[in-house]
Amino acid sequence: MSSSDLDPYRLPPYADSAHAWLLHEAVDHLWPWSQRGFRHHKWVLAIGLVLALAVSMVWVLAGLGRMTAGAVIGWWAGWSVFEIVIRMYSKPYIKEGPWWQRHYRPASIMDMLCYVSFKNLLVGAALFVGLKTLGLLQM
Amino acid sequence: MLMLMFASAVYANSYEAPLPAELSTDPDLCAYVPCGDVIAGADSFSERKGKPTYVEAYRSKKGDHGKIDDHESNGDSQEGGNHHGDKNDDRELIGYVFLSTDIVDIPAYSGKPVVTLIGMDTKGIITGAKVLRHSEPILLLGIPEGELTKFIKQYVGKFVGDKIEIGKPREGQSYIGLDAITGATVTVVAQNQVMMRCGVQIARQVGILKPTIRPQAKFTELAKSPTWDDLVTEGGVQRLLVKREDVGLEATGTPYLDLWFGYLNQPTLGRAILGKSNYESLMTRLKPDEHAIFIIRTGGGESFKGSGFVRGGIYDRIQVAQEMDTFTFRDLDYLNLYGIEAAGAPAFNESAIFIIRSKSFSAAYPWKLVFLANKMDKSTGHRTFTSFDAESWLPDAYLQGGRPVVIVPEPTWLRIWKDKAWGIVAFTALLLLIGTVYAKRDWLVRRCTRKNKYWVDGFKYFGWIASIGFVGFAMMAQPSITQVLTWFHALLFHWEWELFLTDPFIFIFWWFIIITVFIWGRGLFCGWLCPFGSLSELLYKMGGWVGLKRFQFLLPERIHHQLKWLKYAIFYGLLAVSFFSMGLAEKLAEVEPFKTTFLVGIFNRAWPYTLFVAILLGLSIFTERPFCKYLCPLGAALAIPTTFRWFGLKRKPACTTCSACAKGCGSLAINPKGEIDQRECMLCLDCMVMYYDEHACPPLSQERKRRERAGLPLTPVGADGHYIPIMPLPAEEKR
Ligand code: SF4
Ligand code: SF4
Repeated sequence: MSSSDLDPYRLPPYADSAHAWLLHEAVDHLWPWSQRGFRHHKWVLAIGLVLALAVSMVWVLAGLGRMTAGAVIGWWAGWSVFEIVIRMYSKPYIKEGPWWQRHYRPASIMDMLCYVSFKNLLVGAALFVGLKTLGLLQM
Repeated sequence: MLMLMFASAVYANSYEAPLPAELSTDPDLCAYVPCGDVIAGADSFSERKGKPTYVEAYRSKKGDHGKIDDHESNGDSQEGGNHHGDKNDDRELIGYVFLSTDIVDIPAYSGKPVVTLIGMDTKGIITGAKVLRHSEPILLLGIPEGELTKFIKQYVGKFVGDKIEIGKPREGQSYIGLDAITGATVTVVAQNQVMMRCGVQIARQVGILKPTIRPQAKFTELAKSPTWDDLVTEGGVQRLLVKREDVGLEATGTPYLDLWFGYLNQPTLGRAILGKSNYESLMTRLKPDEHAIFIIRTGGGESFKGSGFVRGGIYDRIQVAQEMDTFTFRDLDYLNLYGIEAAGAPAFNESAIFIIRSKSFSAAYPWKLVFLANKMDKSTGHRTFTSFDAESWLPDAYLQGGRPVVIVPEPTWLRIWKDKAWGIVAFTALLLLIGTVYAKRDWLVRRCTRKNKYWVDGFKYFGWIASIGFVGFAMMAQPSITQVLTWFHALLFHWEWELFLTDPFIFIFWWFIIITVFIWGRGLFCGWLCPFGSLSELLYKMGGWVGLKRFQFLLPERIHHQLKWLKYAIFYGLLAVSFFSMGLAEKLAEVEPFKTTFLVGIFNRAWPYTLFVAILLGLSIFTERPFCKYLCPLGAALAIPTTFRWFGLKRKPACTTCSACAKGCGSLAINPKGEIDQRECMLCLDCMVMYYDEHACPPLSQERKRRERAGLPLTPVGADGHYIPIMPLPAEEKR
């Protein structure tokens, strides 16, 4: 698959527009689903939604101090695996070139695995360190 | 698994060694640890005494060297002070034994302390030290644990009052230099602090080291009467907050302890806190060289006085510290504090005035209120000693002439940076040079042809030789996956910038790696600067130069594309294992041959490691970078963010059908469609040389021939990899 094979319908909305760049950027990284993906792969994506809710609950519980660090890490890793599947159905692209630009390329499974694991490592670390600093996560 | 088997053969035995839960609490310390090993000739030991605790070591006088356990010496166990000449005439006091974690909680590289048992004679000379437990990954397998034992042995015979540092003293520096453990600087720097602090603290407590006499403060009397808020803002009162999770308890939103404290002898401060008459009456009770401080508890249910406090005893939760001097309080040093006069003072439910009776305390200098606690380890239920402190220093306005100048000792990491300044400059210059050279790659590759790549190769070979000789063997700055795992661990347990700063080369290298991976991908580090990667590829090149070219091979693409996943599996496997057992992950990380090659030395390790490195390097002569391609977890870890590096290599549309570059790519990183897999690419620039080479790049060469046949001039090759077209200008423009 080359960049020319990239399905234009699946590009994030801001790829062609400059406004609300940051918001769209955040949505694209934090929301793995797309409408089009839903139309074609309802079950996988619905299971993903349920799992996403569950993992969000896990972080909330962690925030309330009711979840141990090990459990949070386990859930987060599990969710990350599923996010790869969801994204391959919904948003099968990753950025090509500088992050502040808007070039994308179709993602291979390895691309997606690398993208999701790295992104979730950063998100997880931020949440983890944040909760730890607030003294909410039990070590 | 094979590595694990080999590992067990040389497995360091105090790594994460289980220690009895009672070790940090039971009065009979020596029932759990071999106290006799650190003080020769001792045949009996007292129970724990003092604060921080230590035990006394005795030798029988009448030649009776049978073990006599001193369980009856409970009565004066809180005394502290000098115990030369014990009440028991049958034996003489020959020294002291103490456990490092009873005294300090200084984390080592792993974020956890190295639990050390230390012996000291009655003159303050270290008689022995023994590591009971450590969590240092590098000492697990990389460096034999014997090195740590050897390091610690250097303290034997040294006086605890001497200034001891790691590394040879420079001119004009007056300290005793100890040899570091090569490759484990961070660990030994932390351990040095542990040894010195513990020794000094106990030596002070038992009277071997005389207290420092500090010039006393001269106070300025101010006309104003500050409110509580004024005092807080000025720093006249300070807060010491301990959270429940800091002591291993579940967070409930309320603190474990919330204390406010301050110095009372200063008249403006003392009157503001106590009220005029109470202040005057307190001052009449104090002799010269006596100082009063107050403490109130405004939050948390824990008592700072201690619920088990007995008359005649020591308040064992609270201390005052000034540099290396600590001041403890006994019942006679306590006075009631009924109220705080300053307007706006918070409500409190526990309070005290404590008297420091010592010439060595001076309010002119900074001091700390220290709260001593036990921290519970949730996984094991063990309790370990920990301490929390907050600093107080009278504001300028309260002291005649303001605060005196305090010379803060240079932090250890800064000293190391200064000691290695030239090496650091050279290393940074090397990184900058290679980074700049790579940034100018277009300029370089345009000056090369497929047959003559001196411009690129000259810099690359220089980078390789410098990284093997200087970075790898001399500076031992080979980055490793264990560092990544260790950071992760440190992030979870105890992150200390200072500890990471103590290894300047690794510190700088990692910043360089992180930045360049995002900009260009892992290839710049892996392909140009990784000591092991460079050694591996240099061997391959040398194999070719000495006539082994015909034996050199690349794995068939099909097998290569399957095998290349192995390194990712190894990386993810290590990461997953590290969640469960850092120790096991560290052991498995022996798949990296770096420690054997650079840190410990190929011939200094057990034969399985030597054999492993020999196989990898031997194979490297015949096939390019086998370890990098298929096994390296660090390469895989860096390949992951390389997926979205900012600037890649150039390709032209014709690359999709031409496979000339792909055939020349030693990393097998170009697929049949002509796309570069940046995760596998070592940025060797061979394909970029081809890109501009009008005799080697097939589409460009055809274009050249076409132009030559048509008698068209050969314009320079543009950024798109084709001759810059000649555009006829419109007629009027020409005119
Ligand atoms: S793959 Fe590993 S050994 Fe090879 S160059 Fe990269 S980090 Fe070094
Ligand atoms: S030839 Fe090109 S693609 Fe292959 S390793 Fe070198 S720079 Fe990377």
